[in-house]
Amino acid sequence: MKKRIQFYFAFYLAKISVIVLKIIRRDATQFPGKLAITLCPNFLDQIGKPKTIIAVTGTNGKTTVCNMIENCLKENGYDFMDNQLGSNTNSGIASTFIKGAKLSGKPKKDLAVFEIDERSSIRVYPYVKPSYLICTNLFRDSLMRNAHTEFIANMLSNNIPKETKLILNGDDLIVSNLSPENERVYFGIARLKTDTDTCENIARDMIVCPKCDSKLEYDFVRYNHIGRAHCSKCDFKSPTIDYEVTNIDFENKIMTIKHQEKEEQYDLINNNIINIYNMLATITLLQELGFSQAQINPVLSKQKIVDTRYSKETVNQIEVITQLAKGMNPIACSRAFDYVRKESGNKAVFLLLDDLHDAANGSENTAWHYDTDFEFLNDESIKQILTAGARYLDTKVRLEMAGIESKKVICQREELSLIEKLNLEGIDKIFILHDLYAMDLKNEIKEQVKRKIQEKQLEKAKE
Amino acid sequence: MEEELTIEILFPEFCNLYGDLSNMKYLQKCMPKANFHETAFDEEPLFVTEKVNLIYLGPMTESRQEKVIQKLLPYKQKIEERIEQNVVFLITGNALEIFSNYIEKEDGSKIEALGIFPIYAKRDMLHRHNSKFIGKWEEIEIVGFKSQFTFSYGDNTHGYFATVEKGIGIHQESQLEGIQKNNFIGTYVIGPILILNPYFTKKLMEKMGMKEPKLAFEEDVIKAYEYRLKELQNL
Repeated sequence: MKKRIQFYFAFYLAKISVIVLKIIRRDATQFPGKLAITLCPNFLDQIGKPKTIIAVTGTNGKTTVCNMIENCLKENGYDFMDNQLGSNTNSGIASTFIKGAKLSGKPKKDLAVFEIDERSSIRVYPYVKPSYLICTNLFRDSLMRNAHTEFIANMLSNNIPKETKLILNGDDLIVSNLSPENERVYFGIARLKTDTDTCENIARDMIVCPKCDSKLEYDFVRYNHIGRAHCSKCDFKSPTIDYEVTNIDFENKIMTIKHQEKEEQYDLINNNIINIYNMLATITLLQELGFSQAQINPVLSKQKIVDTRYSKETVNQIEVITQLAKGMNPIACSRAFDYVRKESGNKAVFLLLDDLHDAANGSENTAWHYDTDFEFLNDESIKQILTAGARYLDTKVRLEMAGIESKKVICQREELSLIEKLNLEGIDKIFILHDLYAMDLKNEIKEQVKRKIQEKQLEKAKE
Repeated sequence: MEEELTIEILFPEFCNLYGDLSNMKYLQKCMPKANFHETAFDEEPLFVTEKVNLIYLGPMTESRQEKVIQKLLPYKQKIEERIEQNVVFLITGNALEIFSNYIEKEDGSKIEALGIFPIYAKRDMLHRHNSKFIGKWEEIEIVGFKSQFTFSYGDNTHGYFATVEKGIGIHQESQLEGIQKNNFIGTYVIGPILILNPYFTKKLMEKMGMKEPKLAFEEDVIKAYEYRLKELQNL
């Protein structure tokens, strides 16, 4: 009884805070949930929850996968609650439940889609039991927060509820071994022409067999520990894939997915392998929910990658591309570097990777630079690398360690005057790779780049 | 001379967290003619049978710590001999705990370690410690970062790596960082410690037997070091 009083006190106070925050237009916050959990520590346990909860976790791709799932659900007439505007921690999820609850504390909707931070597993899963949980991948992330992949994988395996059906990336040898007792389906992409027999990435967390410590034999490597492998000394191996991309037609942007001997085609949003994995995770979940290709494909094919993650504009025949490359996240940055080097044409690259929060409070821990494949930027087609920010001297050394010729590199403290050093001669594409917290800076530099291209065009016209 | 130097990297297939292997990549750039030997977990360490000039062991996951202890236990006496012979050891992050008496888990259970140094570690997987570090070692200011689930306790007053100027030592109240005995250096400072600390790296190369060592990208690493030192001092 005392517990219920404590719950309702926290719930109503949090509900009032939602109204106040809405009035002052600050409703995209985790404050109500934080308040409720502070007042009633087992609030998440007591609040009414929708019948079906879809959760998405993993190092990279959580937000994109949630966006894709939500768009498909919306377009197919489903009503649901989500934490898109709040945070992906226990407070953010509590806030969503509070906003989506009737005054009785019961949910207004029967369905929820949650992005859940891996690190929050311990505070979420004991109370919120997803019907389906997608895990996109598990990689090295912020070493200060997430330490290493074994720590995160253990945290997930120790907390994922037994009744949750897992939708796992079967090409990720860490993810595929999560919570082995749980019911599961695997998604994956069969060997591609671009896959290799050996790994060229620095960060590799599955070199030896987790069961017997023998060296794993990779059937193919896509990047880092993504690929398929087996142990020659014990029975450890990549799982059998339930939803497998058997063919990708990059030219026509179509992929073929095989499930239970049936093949279906889906349109690709773009050719980035990360987005193909994100789409595949989404399709697997939706098919498990009973959706058909005809319900999914028309929605996914129209899906836009949000501007904060990727944008492309052409200014006088020069492409200006912005791409999120989360600082402190070695794999996200390495994937962005790989994407740049594999794009056609001559390129100039802006690197805005400093953690601005850390820079403001002292000196960023740059250990992650050395888990990141800056070596991918050492490519003939990359003609200029421009980088600035508090860590410019460290980045300069890192680029030297990657063997990049110093004449190609501009490193300086001040970010906004970098544009003066941009050399447009012979450049087809300009990439602005930026941290999540450098949006304003990215936008400013993008505008500067566009102006410089236009000015050059005007000069040419005058001549 | 340089070609006669041998550097042994122990178990790089999993003792490779936090970019620490970059220390060896940097040494390779500084000493391109030296012999860098990677010892896999299923091999016998080179130092057991051959003279090496540097033995390097980097940070690892907690489950791997237990396996590395079991792997090195049969070679404990040889490790102690090599320490007495002034072989340089560079042991970073939680690899330091391998050489301690034991590692205590949250439930109070203990993992017996090599017992070479009179310290022990306590794990707390729910609380990760992050801090910035400045310490003094042989009149050189060492800069760096710590990020760990464990602290070490016990007596390192007779053999520490550096005195703390900013940050913490082997535990939150300690002003003495790491372990040093002869040329064995063990420190909780993680990441590219050799790239971040050019003067320390030069000294280490001297201890390994290099005369007049030269650093790769010397001017730029010194500039970056001085910039960071000032940043950390001003915190």
